[in-house]
Amino acid sequence: MKSLIYLLLGSILIISCKKDLAPISGCTDNIAINYNPNAITEDQSCNYFNTTPYVIETPYGFPDMKIPSDNPMTVEGIALGEKLFKDPILSADKTQACINCHQQNFSFSDPNQFSTGIDNIQGNRNASALINLGWNTSFNWDGSSLTLEEQAFEPVTNSIEMHNTWTNVELELNSHSNYPSLFKQAFNINYIDSNHVVKAIAQFERTLISTNSKLDRYLNNEEQLTISELNGYAIFNTEKGDCFHCHSTNMFMDNLFHNNGLDIEPFIDIGRAKVTSNPLDNGKFKTPTLRNVEMTAPYMHDGRFATLEEVVDHYDSGGKYSTTVDPLMKKLGVGLQLSNQEKKDLVAYLKTLTDNEFITQ
Amino acid sequence: MKKTLLLISAIAFLFTSCDKDKAITTDITINFTHTVSGADLITNSMTYTNEAGENYDIQTLKYLISEITLHSENGNSLLLDEVHFIDISDESTFSFSYNDVPNNDYTSISFDMGLDTAKNISNKYVNDDFHTTMFWPEPNGGGYHYMKLEGAYNNDSTFYNTHTGGTMGADYSFNHVKNISLTVDNDLGNVSANINMELNNWYNSPQIEFSSYGMGIMMNMMMQNNIKVNGSTNVFTVTIDK
Repeated sequence: MKSLIYLLLGSILIISCKKDLAPISGCTDNIAINYNPNAITEDQSCNYFNTTPYVIETPYGFPDMKIPSDNPMTVEGIALGEKLFKDPILSADKTQACINCHQQNFSFSDPNQFSTGIDNIQGNRNASALINLGWNTSFNWDGSSLTLEEQAFEPVTNSIEMHNTWTNVELELNSHSNYPSLFKQAFNINYIDSNHVVKAIAQFERTLISTNSKLDRYLNNEEQLTISELNGYAIFNTEKGDCFHCHSTNMFMDNLFHNNGLDIEPFIDIGRAKVTSNPLDNGKFKTPTLRNVEMTAPYMHDGRFATLEEVVDHYDSGGKYSTTVDPLMKKLGVGLQLSNQEKKDLVAYLKTLTDNEFITQ
Repeated sequence: MKKTLLLISAIAFLFTSCDKDKAITTDITINFTHTVSGADLITNSMTYTNEAGENYDIQTLKYLISEITLHSENGNSLLLDEVHFIDISDESTFSFSYNDVPNNDYTSISFDMGLDTAKNISNKYVNDDFHTTMFWPEPNGGGYHYMKLEGAYNNDSTFYNTHTGGTMGADYSFNHVKNISLTVDNDLGNVSANINMELNNWYNSPQIEFSSYGMGIMMNMMMQNNIKVNGSTNVFTVTIDK
């Protein structure tokens, strides 16, 4: 009996010895991000969690960007977010990345009226341009998400978009050759979870900032506008065109929801009321920024207008009456009565909001 | 042991109650209330009639009150708030409090409707909530809307916008002073000052009709002035509750 115990002990020793017999060198410091629990020989390779803070400079006429305190901007987080944004690994069949429907050439929007998901099913709203998002107080046309982090959860599991499950995404990422170390570097985590995926994507999205348009250069006395563009500027910024009340400030949006007289009731898409359940919000949609509007066709929540000319024609018509139409549409029934030249001027002005650097950088 | 514990808690209790007695100060709450022809404002209700005989409703009301100040007999003044933004769709904007009002004999309260020239500057309040919604474009003088008052008139599909502000850089803000008698001597607790806006009076004497001016007065200096005249005459009343 005793000998049996000895034998057992001996074998245990041998087994453990066997492990020890293959000594490997590596980082032996257990607070390092590349700590190797099997390493016995320190090889001075330890890397410590040390992110590089990324500071967003506030553009002229913009408020300070509000960044969630639990997701500070870091160079590592942004790089990881960009990689995820462009990686089809997030979709169920690995064919579609965020960037497929938010294409940089189109100011991170979709030139198609409706985007098509992995199962070849189309949605019913136009994919928004991703631009200056960090200054928005809600996301999606109906404002259904209050943060970029919250928003990023949605397309991944939406059955007509990426149609994936977060369990599957986590599985794929954790068994990937690169992602575990990138998440470790960005967030100091050993297991990749959905919360950190959306945090990284949100960080990247906050860096998509456009403030180098011809208009910005004009306001900075670096470039002159044409006579036509200046006429458009005046129409836009007075009650003649009355664009500025919603597309306000240097951000060219007001973070609010309006019914701009597109349709009569009943509405096919009730918009904001889907979120608030308030009938007074029927047919209201979030004001999009007009920065880079030249690149973000088609227009409106349902992409019904193919060109800026059609958009201007809509407003010039005065719009259609419905019970929730915004009183700012005060020329309803009368129209703006712009001349053809004034309409051209307005479009010319809108094109001064184009920032070519934004789509190439 | 028990006795000591009892003694300690008794002393602690004493201290606590002493602190409480000491802590009584005077806090002032400024409330913003809104009436139309004397009745509390109800939005989206086509039940109002202006001097011109037009029926109307009120759907949007946003405005800025600035330099809200208490003045005392000895010439001191106490600024309660530099700028306060009121939005009828957000009850949290209907009041604010100023705590620990210093002892004094306060004889008047004053405020400005809108922003005077020194404050009405583009992007001056870029980090305030009202920056985007009250923005007034540069080609029309810049700065901020003093007030956005909007709704429908005559029928549901004809709209009016009464937007006031510093048209072409002119100053149409105005000061309102109300004499009060408020002696603060540490023990008043909470005092309220209620600033009521009687909305119908914006359009009365001189009479302003929506059919002529509903489509916008932002560039109309004469109308900005008429609104200012009406506003400084009988739009605001202030009451104090002690």
